[in-house]
Amino acid sequence: MRFAREQIVLTAGERRRRRAAAWAGRAVLFAVTSVAALAVLAIIFFIARDALPFFRQCGVVRFFASNAWYPTHEPPQFGALAIFCGSLIVTVTAVVIAVPPGILAAVCMSDLLPFGARQVLKPTIEMLAAIPSVVYGFFALVVLAPLMQDRLGVSSGVNALTASVILAVMALPTIVSVSEDALQASGRELREGSYAVGATRAETLVRVVIPASVSGIFSAVLLGVMRALGETMVVWMASGNAAQIPKPFFNLFAPVRTLTATIAGDMGEADQMTGSAHYHVLFAMGLSLLFFSFLCNVAGEWIVARQRRRMRGG
Amino acid sequence: MKRRKIVDWVFSGGAYCAVAVMVAFLVLVIGPVFVKGVGAYVFRGTVENRRMMLEQFGRGDSVAVLAEWAEVRRARQPVYDALRAFEREMDEMPSARRKELRAAFKEVKEGVAELLGPEPGTPLPALTRRIYGQTRWDRAKVKRAHILFEEQWDYSGGDGVRVLVPRAPMFEGTALALVFAVLEKDLEGLLRPRLRFYPQFLTDRSIDAHFFGGIGAEVAGTVYLALGAMLIAVPFGIVAAVYFQEYARGGPVLSFLRSCVNTLAGVPSVVFGLFGLAFFINTMHVSRGKSVLAGALTLALLVLPTVIRASEEAIAAVPRTYKEAALSLGAGQWRTILTVILPAALPGILTGIVISMGRAAGETAPIIFTAAVSVGPLVGLGDVLSHPTPALSWNLYNMCTEHEAADEIRHVQYGMALTLVMIVLALNLAAIFLRARVTRRLKG
Repeated sequence: MRFAREQIVLTAGERRRRRAAAWAGRAVLFAVTSVAALAVLAIIFFIARDALPFFRQCGVVRFFASNAWYPTHEPPQFGALAIFCGSLIVTVTAVVIAVPPGILAAVCMSDLLPFGARQVLKPTIEMLAAIPSVVYGFFALVVLAPLMQDRLGVSSGVNALTASVILAVMALPTIVSVSEDALQASGRELREGSYAVGATRAETLVRVVIPASVSGIFSAVLLGVMRALGETMVVWMASGNAAQIPKPFFNLFAPVRTLTATIAGDMGEADQMTGSAHYHVLFAMGLSLLFFSFLCNVAGEWIVARQRRRMRGG
Repeated sequence: MKRRKIVDWVFSGGAYCAVAVMVAFLVLVIGPVFVKGVGAYVFRGTVENRRMMLEQFGRGDSVAVLAEWAEVRRARQPVYDALRAFEREMDEMPSARRKELRAAFKEVKEGVAELLGPEPGTPLPALTRRIYGQTRWDRAKVKRAHILFEEQWDYSGGDGVRVLVPRAPMFEGTALALVFAVLEKDLEGLLRPRLRFYPQFLTDRSIDAHFFGGIGAEVAGTVYLALGAMLIAVPFGIVAAVYFQEYARGGPVLSFLRSCVNTLAGVPSVVFGLFGLAFFINTMHVSRGKSVLAGALTLALLVLPTVIRASEEAIAAVPRTYKEAALSLGAGQWRTILTVILPAALPGILTGIVISMGRAAGETAPIIFTAAVSVGPLVGLGDVLSHPTPALSWNLYNMCTEHEAADEIRHVQYGMALTLVMIVLALNLAAIFLRARVTRRLKG
């Protein structure tokens, strides 16, 4: 009797020991998780730390308002307006090119194609997303740019349009995949209800299904924006890298220079220029990129939260 | 009614078109990379290629290659003789005609040296690329065209149009006419093209800035970086996923940690590179300057959110009943996680790891400032902590934009692109199969 009791019921010391072990394990897990999660704060801190000397030295206004980008002149000028414009032009064009076919393709995959075809297409699209960006850049530079130069009679094949087209191709898989998930999530009852009142397939999709999943589609577009904005290799290789605002600004055949390409290109001699204003200005650009992607993230999370509230409300 | 039907058709047609366009894009991008990339592994190699392989890598049957080389030299002798003879002829020409021909002759002579290699008996050039003639038949034909035709631009129509003007008529009646005739008719006899399989392209060292040899150093660098990144990211990722799924009980701390992970996923890749430079190299001094270690740490941060999410999904997909059964048998939470939940979630976690590895292998921007160099020897396993390395992604960029003779080594660039794509696609295919297995197993 005593023997069995000792087996089942722990002594107070043993129980305390076990509880402490569980608590310690939990603490370790929490610590490791925190390190992983808080890395992003370290990123923000260290980028900001190296960006601050630039702002202190050269001023915030000049950076955002001037488009005189002569980092190697004496004295150097760091007006990044043209570079911000370049990023904006390339990103907006890429998204404008990618979104309509992306949503259509998502609709097709979720509502038109038979199940079997979708099983094949979905992984194929994931593959498209997995191709390294430098390969896309290589394709743009070696295949697409000469083609544009020969066929369209453009003076230079590396320009805003080339970069945007390739960025659009790269953003497409993300947009399609996420919108398709959103369309799927809107449910069968919705579609059946619409068919029941006599709507055609197009009417069902355009008037009922797409509006119902608009928040998911919107986050897909946001993801596409983030991918296009943060992409480095393609724009570096295919956009022409001229720090000027195209005239007129919608002239897509003009070469442009983006934030990411400037960081990648100018940091080439990073070892020699650590500490110079040219080094710090690149961190200022990195900080701006971080800020934009953070904005997109917040917007995305807000949309998801709003949608969840709405669903809960009925 | 009819209009509604037409709208319906148009809409469906447009949707099908969109999917078709997307697939077409895939073919359009992958197609050239695949077709031309194979050309780095399988191509028509000339006798120069066999000679180079023998002398630089010690490959091939030396007796046969030397015998063939002797034959080819005999076949080439008339060409070299003709060049010599024309030089003598030129000395006796009236000066006006000499002036007219001199520039063209110089180009022809240089072209022949590039096509066939330096004339035997003359001192060897310093650059390895000049010691041999064209090693690839496709390049040899391009070089021959440079000799036979002069490229001129016709501006009569406003825009410049490229015109190829044959050089032979200019030299008609001189000793040089023979060179043109031989090159046009009997180039095969001079170079002996033969199909060559070159799988060692994947592992060979490069010679003279990738003119000859393979991409071994780049492949090794990519493998080190991808494996290193996973080695660092996976433990953190799995622990974080276990915490989020099994331990966390909600509250502001949790939602803060979660949005941190989400934000990390959205950080542009080039910013990771900046951070790696500012933190790992300039602040932590993990190495003096760039190194594989610094690059792997940076890439690990980049793939961390993907690993966490995939592991979380895998853990969440483990049926509740497994956990409840384990707990009801008296296992503690730790034991349940280690012996029941993680093994059941393992294939799903592996899928995420494999996909992340593909991402790490393909990324360029984060390693530019932290790990990659344009030219470098193969890095040994002992040097990964302190040495930078060439890597497929970075060197592909570097070779097609900054290489002095980017046009001449397109085949190497395509080969690199193909290799990189193949590595990534193979990893992704593995992930797809893994996932299919998981779904089958969870179903029944």
